[in-house]
Amino acid sequence: MDLFLNIFIGGLLIGGIYSLVSMGLSLQYGVGKVYNIAHGEFLMFGAFITYWLQSMGVNPLVAVVINAPLMFIVGFILYRTVFTGIRVRSPNPGVFESNGMLAAFGLYFIVQNIAVLIWGSTPYSYQYLNTSVALGPSDFHLNRIIAAVFAIAIGVIFYIFLASTRSGKAIRAAAQDTATAGLMGVDINFVLAMCFGFGAAMAGIAGTLISVCYPIQTTMGLGYTVIATVVITLGGLGSIPGSFIGGFIIGIITTGVAYWEPGLAVAAYYIIFIILLLVRPKGIMGR
Amino acid sequence: MLEVKKLSAGYGNIQILWDVSLKVNEGEIVALIGGNGAGKSTLVRTITGLLPANSGTVEFLGKSIDGLEPHKIAELGISHIPEGRKIFTDMSVMENLEMGAYPKNAWKNKKNTLKKVYEMFPRLKEREKQLARTFSGGEQQMLAMGRGLMSQPKLCIIDEPSNGLAPMVVMEVFEIIQSMRKQGITILLIEQNVKQTLEISDRAYVLENGRIVMEGDCATCLASEHIKKAYLGL
Repeated sequence: MDLFLNIFIGGLLIGGIYSLVSMGLSLQYGVGKVYNIAHGEFLMFGAFITYWLQSMGVNPLVAVVINAPLMFIVGFILYRTVFTGIRVRSPNPGVFESNGMLAAFGLYFIVQNIAVLIWGSTPYSYQYLNTSVALGPSDFHLNRIIAAVFAIAIGVIFYIFLASTRSGKAIRAAAQDTATAGLMGVDINFVLAMCFGFGAAMAGIAGTLISVCYPIQTTMGLGYTVIATVVITLGGLGSIPGSFIGGFIIGIITTGVAYWEPGLAVAAYYIIFIILLLVRPKGIMGR
Repeated sequence: MLEVKKLSAGYGNIQILWDVSLKVNEGEIVALIGGNGAGKSTLVRTITGLLPANSGTVEFLGKSIDGLEPHKIAELGISHIPEGRKIFTDMSVMENLEMGAYPKNAWKNKKNTLKKVYEMFPRLKEREKQLARTFSGGEQQMLAMGRGLMSQPKLCIIDEPSNGLAPMVVMEVFEIIQSMRKQGITILLIEQNVKQTLEISDRAYVLENGRIVMEGDCATCLASEHIKKAYLGL
């Protein structure tokens, strides 16, 4: 029983970060229709910016204040320049989706190369609140608990933003029917770029939280892109609550599998992913 | 109010509209009728900026709106109530109506407008918290029309509102269109339901194979042999 509780709590702690990364990809792919293979690279950059700031004495959680807006601006400009251009030139949404994915693939290599040039490929780590706290039957690192609480708080704040503000409703409308949202007076190019920016910012924040808990390295991004892909498929494409809940489910499953056989954790994502595509391609919250 | 001059448009290499011209004056209900694939929806989509024109111009209130994005056209006061309702199914009824009031000027007045729309559609008020996906086709059409009014438009372009609805509901929809006109809204009505449409409209254009083949006041159209044969089955 204690074992299950440990796996459950451990899964929830890592799940918070998965949720955040996945909500970001859900905004970019589910709303913006760009399957951003470079999503994890924003996360990696966020982690390294945090590392750099903390080495200058900035509290890593405070680094979010710089990191998140910076990632938002980069994401927004990237969408306005590259992806809006591809969207306008695509004869239909299907062509945009495939060309956008190819462009994101290119982006992945560009960002990877730049990062390796700057930071090489060795792991970096620093200590922050690395004390143990009793939670349930065993002890967990305080930094992991704080990272999970932080991630959940961001998720809840963003949900409230979507549910109750004019811009948030415009994002939800665009997620359901982009053209009709335009007819309502929503500036589609702006809102989609905003979604891409929010997605990048969430990846950046997740990068900060990961750097607080684990060693970071320049190749860390792709793994998170893969996890986020599985989570948004599970949660239902474009469903923010689905990504939020899905992150925790995947967190618990992978923690369980890793306990049993760590080498199978990555295989487990893909098995879940393929089963989902076959059994319920719309995900748990999708329609 | 709206003037379309020699408009040509299509998808990719396929041209659908050929030199279409039409005019809607303030306070009128103008009907645009034609069969499936005649190009009615293509014309509407080109007017409201969803589709680029190959040539020709569209003027609204004396100013060209060529090449403007859909949201800019919506802000000018044209409300497009699209074919197939296109309501936001995962949003509540009230949120759908709020989306209709998205342009900044309309957003400021949305409380008042909402009250008026609820007076016109009391059923929407009763079910304002419900998800729009739970609505029947007729209710969805009412919601789409209510949403279209929320922007306080000068011109409403209503694309096939009676499509797929039961005869009783169709009558209700046409009554609402007439009451919209009484509130001072100009209407361009796209329909396949030719008889009822011509009965409530002032003037009509007939679109066939992407070309306007007939225009005039509705009485003349109703009396025409071509209309009787092709559209009324007489």
